[in-house]
Amino acid sequence: MSNSLPEQTKTPAPAGVFTLVITGAPYSSQAPQTALQFAHAVLAANKRIDRVFLYGDGVHLASSLSSPPSDELNLSEAWAAFLAENNIPGVACIASALRRGLVNESERQRYELTASNLRAPFEIAGLGEWVDSTASESRVLYFHKGG
Amino acid sequence: MSTLIIIDQPPYGSWEGREALDMAFSLAAFDQPVSLLFCGAGVNWLRKGQDAAKVHQKSIERNLSAAPIFGVEALLADSHACDQYGLVETELLDQATITDFGPELTARFDHVAFAG
Repeated sequence: MSNSLPEQTKTPAPAGVFTLVITGAPYSSQAPQTALQFAHAVLAANKRIDRVFLYGDGVHLASSLSSPPSDELNLSEAWAAFLAENNIPGVACIASALRRGLVNESERQRYELTASNLRAPFEIAGLGEWVDSTASESRVLYFHKGG
Repeated sequence: MSTLIIIDQPPYGSWEGREALDMAFSLAAFDQPVSLLFCGAGVNWLRKGQDAAKVHQKSIERNLSAAPIFGVEALLADSHACDQYGLVETELLDQATITDFGPELTARFDHVAFAG
């Protein structure tokens, strides 16, 4: 088996720190749910998550107004609880968020909107948070709508 | 830490490519090396002479023309996709370079990200 998967030997071992980028929306894609299961597995393996970054349609995960039927998993609530319990920052991209009607109190005031709907502990911030992760040692994984 | 952002979505049928472009510009703004690769339907981003007024959108041609000024290192077009969409080099933006999308290309970058 001299030619069996030579590339595999060059693949580095998984790093100890992960950044998760979620771009798929809850309830129209599997991305937030798959990411949550992965996040639990990361902590169970004694590795660390430095940040969860919501981008594109992924920002809907941070809405405090999502109200699925009571026999379905409330993904926003589940993610918020996971982040709070494990002290992991959850950041929604401000440009994606504003386009999709996700605002915190200060953006509500800035744009004179009727309500704010950002669920704690999620925060709203710029793409610089994502740049910071890509420039760090952390391994950045993307959860898109297809996954 | 160099990054390659791959856009395989058409320019006006989806917002994912535009948000990927924002990611590229953010990296460049923070002085991080970044290049863009257009493949599949994404090569249509690189067509010259776009007019998006009838779909009430801004033409992405101007944004892309400014990419090198903002510090995006390269606009790469996958040769296979160019063939598929009947695009020859003269029909692409002047800043674009036709290349082969494969492991040799992606191996040159530390970080590779797809548009949603």
